[in-house]
Amino acid sequence: MDNRYDVIVVGAGNGGLAAAANTAKAGLKTLLLEKHNLPGGCATSFRRGRFEFEPSLHELCSVGTAEKPNTVYKVLDELGTKINWEYEHDIFRVINKAGNYDLVLKAGIEDFCQSVDDAVPGCKENVRAFLALKPKIDAAIAYIYAMKGKPKGLTMLLKHTDFMRVAGHTVEQVMTALGIPKAAQDIINTYWGYLGVPTDELNAMHFLNMVHDYVVDGAAMPRHRSHEMSLALVDVIVKNGGEVRYNSEVTKFLYNEDGSVAGVVANGEELYSKEVISNVIPNNVFNMSDQSVIPEQNLKLANARDFGISVATIYLGLDCSVEELGLKDYTVFIQGHPDPRVQNDTRLDDGLYIVNCLNNVIPDSSPEGTCTLFFTMPIYGGDVPKDLKPEDYKKWKNALAKKYIEDAEKALNISIMPHIEEISVATPVTFARYLGTPEGTIYGYRLSGWDNLMARTAGEKTDYAIPGLSFCGGHYIRGDGYSCAYIMGDTIGKRVAKRIKGGA
Amino acid sequence: MARPKLWKLNPMDFTKMTPARNEKIAAAPANKLPEADSYHPNKIANALHPKVQYLKVAKIVDEDDFTKSFYLEADAEKGTESLAWFNAGQYISIRLKIGDMSLSRPYSLASSPREALEKGYYMLTIRRVDDGLASRYIQDNWQVGTKVTASEPLGVFTYEPLRDAKNIVCVSGGGGVTPFRSIAKAIADGDEDANMILLYGSDSIKEALFNDEFEELARTCPNFKYVNVISGEPVEGKEHGFITADLIRKYAPEGDYSIFICGPAAMYNFVDKEIATLGLRKKFIRHEMFGEYFNPAKEADYPAEVAPEFKLTVRMAGKEYTLTAPANQSLLRTMENGGVAAPAHCRSGECGWCHSRLVSGEVYTPKSADGRREADLIYGYIHPCCAFPLSDVVIDVPPVVE
Repeated sequence: MDNRYDVIVVGAGNGGLAAAANTAKAGLKTLLLEKHNLPGGCATSFRRGRFEFEPSLHELCSVGTAEKPNTVYKVLDELGTKINWEYEHDIFRVINKAGNYDLVLKAGIEDFCQSVDDAVPGCKENVRAFLALKPKIDAAIAYIYAMKGKPKGLTMLLKHTDFMRVAGHTVEQVMTALGIPKAAQDIINTYWGYLGVPTDELNAMHFLNMVHDYVVDGAAMPRHRSHEMSLALVDVIVKNGGEVRYNSEVTKFLYNEDGSVAGVVANGEELYSKEVISNVIPNNVFNMSDQSVIPEQNLKLANARDFGISVATIYLGLDCSVEELGLKDYTVFIQGHPDPRVQNDTRLDDGLYIVNCLNNVIPDSSPEGTCTLFFTMPIYGGDVPKDLKPEDYKKWKNALAKKYIEDAEKALNISIMPHIEEISVATPVTFARYLGTPEGTIYGYRLSGWDNLMARTAGEKTDYAIPGLSFCGGHYIRGDGYSCAYIMGDTIGKRVAKRIKGGA
Repeated sequence: MARPKLWKLNPMDFTKMTPARNEKIAAAPANKLPEADSYHPNKIANALHPKVQYLKVAKIVDEDDFTKSFYLEADAEKGTESLAWFNAGQYISIRLKIGDMSLSRPYSLASSPREALEKGYYMLTIRRVDDGLASRYIQDNWQVGTKVTASEPLGVFTYEPLRDAKNIVCVSGGGGVTPFRSIAKAIADGDEDANMILLYGSDSIKEALFNDEFEELARTCPNFKYVNVISGEPVEGKEHGFITADLIRKYAPEGDYSIFICGPAAMYNFVDKEIATLGLRKKFIRHEMFGEYFNPAKEADYPAEVAPEFKLTVRMAGKEYTLTAPANQSLLRTMENGGVAAPAHCRSGECGWCHSRLVSGEVYTPKSADGRREADLIYGYIHPCCAFPLSDVVIDVPPVVE
């Protein structure tokens, strides 16, 4: 069979799937290579006994409905997928174990602001002012896109001043300027856990985009775990003549004499294409490349960056119904201290963790008389004890799981342990295994102060300078999260398709 | 309410972001990046989950007239420096080439994890089965020095302290005792913290595998109890008959206990019904996989008037194969018999390693062996190890990589 393609996509994570679906749909001969035997990367599912677990998705942002679709809905819908969406109505419950609060934040701008106000009276309009910045940001971004990334400085300063104020500062700086009391900031900023960077460092625009969309659209989940979305995208690829190969790990990137990408080697076979889209983190791609083709700036950038957060997770199948368990919420954040920075710094001890109960969004997502719980603790690969040996790993992760399960029993005042029918525990080691990323990072590079979304966006052209080689995925500009990965994969797929078709 | 004072933030700070980032990048070294595998979590992941393990036979022991134990050690020459640690009760899947056939078989690790770590071997105990293609081949062909390609340790038939009762009653028969040897030894080694009672059914003492070892272990390890259940000629001081609910009750400790069951299919037919009468919660019953599924035509929901054979087209990594597929044979077997190496580990419908896309045609999957995910059913995915053709079929199968 011919080993020449228009586009080779390396890695069938969310970004790779969305990119390949786009190039295939554009009529380009597309090959998607995946090292595992399933698509999706983290977006998959696994079975234990009578349970099918969601491994990573907490809730999808920016979905919306058929009547009022947001970006992710549009991306997936325009590709021709039919996802069975289910919606979460409250956005989250947050419990402070020191007794400061236990409250539920509602979806919808009015209800959301009111629920924060109930906890910290008098801040409602200030919170509203924060969310109200979103349309201004959208307008500025639309202008920047219209100017093909080269906006006029004066127009920006005169017409998009608030955008510059928000995009140029951290969440805490913006919230403080808006007069949101610290206690209310802490409640809203519980969401930092989803991006992995505390809000005294996280870019305000980035955070606002996420919070706003959760508040306005609510959060969505695919009915049949993330595996449904991954298979839906594979379906688009193959129905449009694309090819998906599993158990096909890329071990080498091939380059032309002029330094442009020529293809890859998978399972010892050389495969060629006009362009390559990598869902694999640049660190790994560079190490599979002739060092001489990597622009010095790109190598320096990769050296300068820190790896993003990973997670430890616990998947529990319980032999009691969610009513018997006595938990009404889908998402519960449990914290030792209200401040995100403290939560980050005490992450191995008493920081922040999330408990999800999918049955509260999809009641029959497990058999009758059962329910599932999904715990997530944001920790780094570097937090895995340096002296931990493979033979002690299971004991270590079980001890971690026991600690968090018992803690949640207390915080939620429910009984979990006696009902455990199935259990699986994952840690950064697990994610290192499945994703192959350094230190098991699930979020690519840390969205640190200097390497934030806005600065990444501005640097895109110089940061990704190997001709014919594009990147998408959590390590790319927008950072991780399902929504960002789909959106970036979609953008890159369309961009590459346009370039190839334009040149043909 | 405090008045919002967004104007206090300097918009020009926005313009400082790119220069600040560029400075940070310029100051970084342009070194070759460390390999992902050099990071600690990745090292643990690779040690626990090697993509493949190259082994060689180091020692062969005759356990009885038709059972042999094979000691396998790491084949450093082929790139496996040491054996992966595992959880007692797990199995490895062995890849075999028999004539033109390329196939795999799962075998429980009968040795303890600590033996792998400290003594450098895995032990597989393989009983010769009359119609057992692989067991006969292995017994007849594996010699000291034979090279063996195996998977990482797999399977979830393991003791889980956060899930299972501390007291475990292990019900076994025949060759199904191998994972229990591993669990018993892991308890004795201090790697598992459980109290184990092994009820082992056999026709005679002679046919009870590892009988002397289990008796010795019962003497030396306070957390291990051993009970022979002899179904043939009665033996004084030993239980007689089959493993019934009453017998389990007799030996089960006070309070909660978990039952672990592993044995031949004939034992499951009897024991599973007995255990059902104990009224235990599902979480306290752990069942090893049922093994390969045969004879779909016996199922009530199997369609009437299925033709005896069909055409199977296999697409695999850019290649295509056409095979004749008997209706009563799994698609996996058809591929193996046709010389097409297809991925498979558990062969019981559970692990999903053979997960493949049904491009066209129709297959039958018996409910008892259907371990697929919900979305697989929507988008037409199958597990060829327990999928039987009902028409000509085209499937897209991942390649086997070694």
